[in-house]
Amino acid sequence: MVAECVTGKKVLMKGNYAIANAAIKAGCQCYFGYPITPQSEIGEFMSGKMQELGRAYVSAESELAAINMVIGAVSTGVKAMSSSSSCAISLMQEALSYATADQLPVVLVSVMRGGPGLGNIYPSQGDYNQATIGGGNGDYKLIVLAPSTVQECIDLTYKAFYLAFKYKNPTMILADGLLGQMMEPVEFYDYPYPEIDTTSWALSGAKDRSARVIRSYAPLEENQCVFLDNLFKKYELIEQNEVEYEEYMVDDADFVVVAFGSMFRNVKSAVKLCREKGLKVGAFRPITLYPFPSERLNSLADKVKKILVTEINMGQMVRDVRLAVNGKVPVLFKGKGVGAMIDVETLVEEIEKQMGGV
Amino acid sequence: MATQVFSIPKSLKKDVKYSFCPGCDHGVAVRLVAECLDELGLKENTITATSIGCSVGLYDFIDIDAIEAPHGRALAVATGVKRANPDKFVFTYQGDGDFASIGWAESMHSAFRGEKLSAICINNTTYGMTGGQLGPTTLLGQVTTTSPTGRNIEYYGYPVKIAEHIALSEGTAFSARVSLDSVANIRKAKAAIKKAFEVQMKGLGFGFVEILSSCPTNWRMSPQQAHERVRNEMMPIYKLGVYKDITA
Ligand SMILES: Cc1ncc(C[n+]2csc(CCOP(=O)(O)OP(=O)(O)O)c2C)c(N)n1
Ligand code: SF4
Ligand SMILES: [Mg+2]
Repeated sequence: MVAECVTGKKVLMKGNYAIANAAIKAGCQCYFGYPITPQSEIGEFMSGKMQELGRAYVSAESELAAINMVIGAVSTGVKAMSSSSSCAISLMQEALSYATADQLPVVLVSVMRGGPGLGNIYPSQGDYNQATIGGGNGDYKLIVLAPSTVQECIDLTYKAFYLAFKYKNPTMILADGLLGQMMEPVEFYDYPYPEIDTTSWALSGAKDRSARVIRSYAPLEENQCVFLDNLFKKYELIEQNEVEYEEYMVDDADFVVVAFGSMFRNVKSAVKLCREKGLKVGAFRPITLYPFPSERLNSLADKVKKILVTEINMGQMVRDVRLAVNGKVPVLFKGKGVGAMIDVETLVEEIEKQMGGV
Repeated sequence: MATQVFSIPKSLKKDVKYSFCPGCDHGVAVRLVAECLDELGLKENTITATSIGCSVGLYDFIDIDAIEAPHGRALAVATGVKRANPDKFVFTYQGDGDFASIGWAESMHSAFRGEKLSAICINNTTYGMTGGQLGPTTLLGQVTTTSPTGRNIEYYGYPVKIAEHIALSEGTAFSARVSLDSVANIRKAKAAIKKAFEVQMKGLGFGFVEILSSCPTNWRMSPQQAHERVRNEMMPIYKLGVYKDITA
């Protein structure tokens, strides 16, 4: 049973159900999906709830179909979403490229599991690159939001719908198997963002106006150049306005640990322990993986002596941190291929070892 | 006093450059679709999902809202449009490669689900836009750029009979195969398109029309020769007719 999510009432809930409930409260009218662990609860919950509410749910024949159904629905200005995981998000890359080219407010939840290939169903952060660099063709970016608590699954699901429509750009919530399956107390609140007017672009039938075409085919070189220049002006705006991050005890820190998503939870505990030992350590968490908080990391590098990046993958976000810091200080990496987050003791040990020279 | 007996359908744009090859049946098919939209009063309430192939040009001609789906995904995109807007009229216009090869899963499952959609498939027995390669409907013996000695079963397997397969689905309300090789057949084609539209309007299920269509350019034939090929080589294998009509 999934707890009733009454505004203002604390309930205990799994991350996957929190995302699904928040999407419904955000006004998501259509859900299209195909099962895959560790996110199947989202589709399972949606199948009943959407029918009950008279909204649309389709058990798609594949993730390829599911994401293209989302494209169809949002092209009419309606809020719609899909959710999936790792190897199945791979199947959606072509459509994500189209959706950025078509400037469509697609919302997609990616609950990472082990990879490459079929991998396994343990938690992982191995799809950081898939989310932020992408596997679709051409120059494009997704807005990527990475929650680290179940409460934040709600906050960032709301935000994902808002940003997707504000910028007409596909937006991804990048969670992991741990967050999807973990229960935490959360509090629901009403969708806090303004509704974005879509009447200037949404397809609705050419009544009392000329026909609209949502297309990416641009046979002429110059047209495609103009299109890309404009697309990247939009990305500049996103980079100026939407960067979000969390800092913990960085003010006087000599050493900062950077992590995103679930991994940050243990990093915070490790920093607390290090502080008790008198070590000047802080923690930093990008909440928006795109736009990445590069500027802030660059200015932190003026104050700290070393940065340690920890991820449940073989080293993906660490590249973005290195680019941000641009050689000012050494950026070290502590990773793990897949599974449970690196434990607090190991982190403390690693920090102490690396701080030896600080 | 002169009486006007022929005019451009309201659902077609007036001042566009014709982009299909001379003698290509795509032009006739687009006109028939536009006439049906006009006659059923659908122009202002319609959204179409176009496909990748020579059919992508539909949105250059037709004066209705359109979204270009990735290759093969037109019926998934259309499903999304329709589920979000059950009161809109939604159709796809796809090539045989788009519909029956790369998009076979999307096509069949839209029919299985009984989506209230109408789909038009232009069967020209080849991937036209990319220069005439072997596709799902390429006939046995047919020479294409990727079947240089003709399609043989050993190497390439059998051609797909689309309208028959769609008719097998319980969610299908109407499935027919038509041709544009003669005036009589063009009339029948229009009636079939209209029927495929009407079953959606009545909420009866999936409406489908496969149109046997010439591709003079890739077949390396004159328009006349191309229609003869439709008659003499395609029609004996791809038999014209209504394969399912739940209103009959
Ligand atoms: C995913 C993908 N694969 C391949 C292509 C290249 N491509 C463009 S059109 C086309 C063939 C279309 O053939 P068909 O659907 O029969 O339409 P026709 O051009 O014959 O009308 C192909 C293979 C593409 N655009 N996207
Ligand atoms: S290539 Fe063939 S199908 Fe395409 S427009 Fe030319 S004749 Fe028509
Ligand atoms: Mg073709």
